[in-house]
Parts: sequence; structure tokens; C-alpha cells
Amino acid sequence: MFIINCPYCGERDQSEFTAGGEAHIERPKQPTELSDDEWAEFLFMRKNIKGVQFERWNHAHGCRKWFNVVRDTTNDKIHAVYKMGEKPSID
Amino acid sequence: MLNINFPKIDKKTFNDLELSLAEEKIKINIRGKNKDFFTKVGKITSIILPTEANTSSSNEKFNALWLSPDEWIIYFDGKDTNKVINNLFNEISKLNFGAITDISDHWVCINIKGRKTFDLLSSSSPFNFNSFKKSKNNVAQTVLNHTDVIIHHKEVDDVNLFVRRSFAEDLWLWINDSARFL
Repeated sequence: MFIINCPYCGERDQSEFTAGGEAHIERPKQPTELSDDEWAEFLFMRKNIKGVQFERWNHAHGCRKWFNVVRDTTNDKIHAVYKMGEKPSID
Repeated sequence: MLNINFPKIDKKTFNDLELSLAEEKIKINIRGKNKDFFTKVGKITSIILPTEANTSSSNEKFNALWLSPDEWIIYFDGKDTNKVINNLFNEISKLNFGAITDISDHWVCINIKGRKTFDLLSSSSPFNFNSFKKSKNNVAQTVLNHTDVIIHHKEVDDVNLFVRRSFAEDLWLWINDSARFL
């Protein structure tokens, strides 16, 4: 259990949120030009980093907004929270 | 308004707690973000929608609760309900300034008041009520006994709890059960 600072509502318990997987995955501009392997890479393959990871989260039991979180998966420490479309404050 | 049956909720009094069904209230979900949207809502309801997170604003008739940066609930008692809803719908939804949805039958309002109100809510919610209970007009969307709720702190130790119709009876039974042990 940990606390997430929703950029809209403020600090809330993690149980109010749902994780939406890896962040910053861009949809290919011309999907028809991709090979099956490249399309599968975009569609299914996700990093599962042991360490600092960029993730999408949704405040499902609150404002229902999506946002991004930079989280260390080894200890659940949250390094940054930022809205969709914004740049993270850390690299 | 549809002819639906509200859950069978009788007024109950416990030690330092009073529970009752605060119906029939009209509840309208409104969504929008541009300047015209705010102007139209202000003109029709004479209320300024709260833009600060987790807050509400009220006048003699209407209560507006912040739900997200572009979404609010307005609730009120009253007879001329169709007039208000139609006005909002015609001036906002039809002109594409925003979206107006009548959710009166989707959500049930339960009133909880008394000194132990927040002890009751804290007993099965992950939300931290410490600062919430200090000032009125606060709003929280959270989970209570695994059920989504909207909590409006309208007066000191007096909250309106909004819960979806289909979960209302279950939550009401849990509230009664929990209140006995406070």
C-alpha cells in the first residue's frame, strides 16, 4: 500500500487507483506499413523494469482522470506525478 | 424523473449518529470547460461552479460539487425541476457548450449527522478525513465499504453521502451495522 498524489485531487490511497501500464508508448503513424513483428512489438511488448519506471495510472474511484507516475518498482517510491501531455520533471 | 423505488431506508438514530434518506433530490451531472459553459450555468442557477479541487459551492437552492476539472454535480430540492433541467439542457447541451445529464435516479443521497459521523466513515474508507472534517463545503469522491461514494460535508458533522442506486441498500445495511459498534 502506498499513497499517490493525484494531480487533480491530491494525496489518496493507492486502492483508489488502477494501474494502466507503461507510459509514453506512441501509436505508429502508419500501422499498415509495419510488419507483423513490429505491430506485435507495439501492441503487446512492455518493459517490466526493476527500478524506476514511467507508468500510467487512473484515479478510478475519484476524479477518473488518467495521469503519469514515475515509480520505483522495487520500493514503490514515487519520484514524480504529472498530467497527461506534460513532460516528467525527471529523466 | 422515472418512477423508480428508492431503497427502503427509514430514519435511524444511534448514539451520536442520525441516519436518514435525503430524498427526493434532483441531481444533475454537468460537464464542460469553456467560458460560455460557466456563464450559462451561472445565469441559470445563480451559482459559481467551484474550480478548486474537492470543494463545493452553494446558494439557497443549489449545491454544486466539484468532481473533476470539467465535471460537477448540482443537487437541489424543488418542484420546478424540469424547468431547471430543460433550461440547462437547452442552453448548454443543445448548443454544444457542455453536457447535462439528469442523474436523479442513478444516485441516492443518504444524510449522516452527529458527532461520530467521521468515525463511521473512517471505519471503512481509505480516505484521510483529518483535514476534510475541519471545514465545511469539502467534497470527496472515495470508497466506503468497497462502494464508490461522493461525500459532501455541508455542515459541521453533517454530510450528504451519494451512492449509486444499486449499491444503496447494501451500503445502508453496512452503515447501520457499523453504527451500532461506534
